[in-house]
Amino acid sequence: MCSNKKRNVLIDGSRLMIEAMVQAGANVFVGYPITPANLLYAYASQRFPTFMPAPDEISSLQWATGFAAAGKIPVTATSFPGYALMVEPINMAYMMEMPIVIIMAQRLGPSTGSATTGAEGDLLLLRGSISGGYPIPVLCPSDFKDCWDLAFQSVSVAVKLRMPVVLLTSKEMVMTARSFDLSRLSSMTPVRWNLYEGDEEYRPYLSGADMVPPFLPAGNERHQVRINASTHDTLGLIRKATPEAIANTTRLKEKVEKRIQEYTFYHYDHEEGAEIVIVTYGVTADAARDAVKSIRAEGERISLLILKTLIPVPPVIFDILDRYRMIVFAEENLPGLLQEIMFGQSRSRRIRNVSKIAFMITPSEIVRGVEECRKAS
Amino acid sequence: MPKSILIGKEIPFCPGCGHTVTVNGIAKALENMGVAPLDVILVSDIGCCGLIDNLVKCHTVHGLHGRAAALAMGVAMGLDDPNKVVIAIQGDGGATIGLQHLLEASRLNVNMNLIVHNNMVYGMTGGQISGLSPGEFKAIRLPEQQDIPSYDICELAYRTGASYSCRTFVGSDIPARLEEAFRTNGFSLVEVVETCPAYGVTKAKELHELMEHGEVTLKNTRPPAKTPKKDVASITGSLPVIESKYDSTLKTRLEVVIAGSAGEGVQLAGELLASAGIAAGLHTSRKGEYPVTVGTGFSVAEVILSREEILYTGIESPHVMIITSADGLAKEKERICSTNRLVMDCRLEVPAGKEAMVADFRSEAGKRGVTLCAVAYWLKQSNIMTLDALIDATRTSKHADALISTIQKAATLQAK
Repeated sequence: MCSNKKRNVLIDGSRLMIEAMVQAGANVFVGYPITPANLLYAYASQRFPTFMPAPDEISSLQWATGFAAAGKIPVTATSFPGYALMVEPINMAYMMEMPIVIIMAQRLGPSTGSATTGAEGDLLLLRGSISGGYPIPVLCPSDFKDCWDLAFQSVSVAVKLRMPVVLLTSKEMVMTARSFDLSRLSSMTPVRWNLYEGDEEYRPYLSGADMVPPFLPAGNERHQVRINASTHDTLGLIRKATPEAIANTTRLKEKVEKRIQEYTFYHYDHEEGAEIVIVTYGVTADAARDAVKSIRAEGERISLLILKTLIPVPPVIFDILDRYRMIVFAEENLPGLLQEIMFGQSRSRRIRNVSKIAFMITPSEIVRGVEECRKAS
Repeated sequence: MPKSILIGKEIPFCPGCGHTVTVNGIAKALENMGVAPLDVILVSDIGCCGLIDNLVKCHTVHGLHGRAAALAMGVAMGLDDPNKVVIAIQGDGGATIGLQHLLEASRLNVNMNLIVHNNMVYGMTGGQISGLSPGEFKAIRLPEQQDIPSYDICELAYRTGASYSCRTFVGSDIPARLEEAFRTNGFSLVEVVETCPAYGVTKAKELHELMEHGEVTLKNTRPPAKTPKKDVASITGSLPVIESKYDSTLKTRLEVVIAGSAGEGVQLAGELLASAGIAAGLHTSRKGEYPVTVGTGFSVAEVILSREEILYTGIESPHVMIITSADGLAKEKERICSTNRLVMDCRLEVPAGKEAMVADFRSEAGKRGVTLCAVAYWLKQSNIMTLDALIDATRTSKHADALISTIQKAATLQAK
């Protein structure tokens, strides 16, 4: 791909994500067809070499983890009700260090909510998914190009860090079709496992400086493999609070945080002299891009920061925000979930929220939020 | 000399525990078969039986309570190798929690084995009863449930298609039953009824007296599950590339709402209009809305045509609304107030104070074609692009002839 000749098609984000993941090396899709992840499921059934329809989301993640233990790279797609069921097996895969990509297509909650209405309401759930508060990497596309690039990155991060990764999106991204020039897509090299090649005894949870142990599939004929969801030592045997076992558990957090530079993605549209920055992600990013155009057309200065790595929040994001007097968060939920992850529950006068549910935030609502911010300062 | 899968460590279960008998039975069966330890993958559940991991030389995967069958199913399907022996191990508590997983593995007849240590209790949490605890056993511990039968998981596995299901007891020839299971190509379940010196039955002979379900071996002759593996082609490469070979008079952004009824081609009309827009050199977006019962009620398509790149895809005040049925009218009664241009089928009442382009689309194009007819009619009147762009968009449809005929009828339709 990446030719100069335009190849315009009418396409949706689901198709781009599924195609990119297969090209990235993912080879098994296990899933339950929940709305609004239906298109992802449908495309996966056409595109994945192995497609397994599961009876529920607990089964989906258990099967997926089993596939990963056998050396496959599995993907699933769901929305909140399914993710809620997956929380226990996601913890299992996190502890076992098995790569799985979970595409999370958000819809309006709480509970079953409204299956065909979009939302951005699950970020705190993702942040709190892992017992102990350990971060699970969450990447979030803000346009169709991102659907391609970040789908690849989610597979890459899952395999490189040996862990579940969430590709967070929303109904409007995965079900809306747009004209799109396929020649804009970059080609990709499939991701490969870092395999253990030594002759000495294999310790499945012994890592080097990169904090991620090399992998061998269960069933290989060279070395015994032990995979474990309980607290374990480097051999993979259950241990209570031994120093080795606790060091292993601590490493699970550190590998995510210390290798954040490898998966830090954001778009920063900086305007010199701007005192206000709009911070957003996902489906609200396009409304924010429109809002920035009209604010600048009025002669006002404004900057825009679109986060594409949401968890953990990359340190560079805080460095950027330190340069601004006021921050306007725009996200399609009521409490301001990204804002809460970044700044807690204290209501700083420096921060304002543009919040809404059941409908996408409009560019004019963001413009209004920025105007109010300006007046208040 | 066949190798044992046991390391030779002391087995950690309580003296008199049936788990010890079963663990030795597993080792003996594999030894008899001459299976190399690294060809065995043992997937263990939470519970006392999960302590087996430390005792063996084979691969081990230690998962969550009740989920061993599902996790092992993933391993077995992932390996897809008839020379590997995948063994999941759980207790009666785990089998109760994960009954769905057991049934699914049986139904698909996955090439794996599930050993259920049934000692009638959740042993690790203090001896609570499970779904496999027999009535008489419950009479002492939970009398109000003594008349509630226990699950017959062997029968359930058999009825759902397992190649092999068997119930055996401590004191019986467990290695022989396990070997039969391990040699079976397909899903095998072996329920071993066991003693539990801490919370359950302590004497092997009493197990038979208490159990509602006796020794049994049940077999189905059917092929094992095969891991689906298909040759696949790109799903982006297979999309029709739309050449921008027409012009458009559109200078800015035009937001169009098409509202009608399910089954009347609303979503298709939206897609064709969006594709036609690309052929006319425009940026386009298309989204659909309909109730969860997709075959009835309203259906709405939103299409944006724009000279500039489209960012925000929402439509608050549509520039154009094309309404072809009462369902669509009812759904869009609020946005109609804000639109400048209204196109309606002649059967519908034009809202007070509004002007509309009205024609008899339904008589002209029928139920299936009414929406496309209205869209084509508006497009022709609007002069935004040639109808040839819309006709081109139908080319990849297997109903292209009918769609083109509808568009051509719309081109000559008279207003009412």
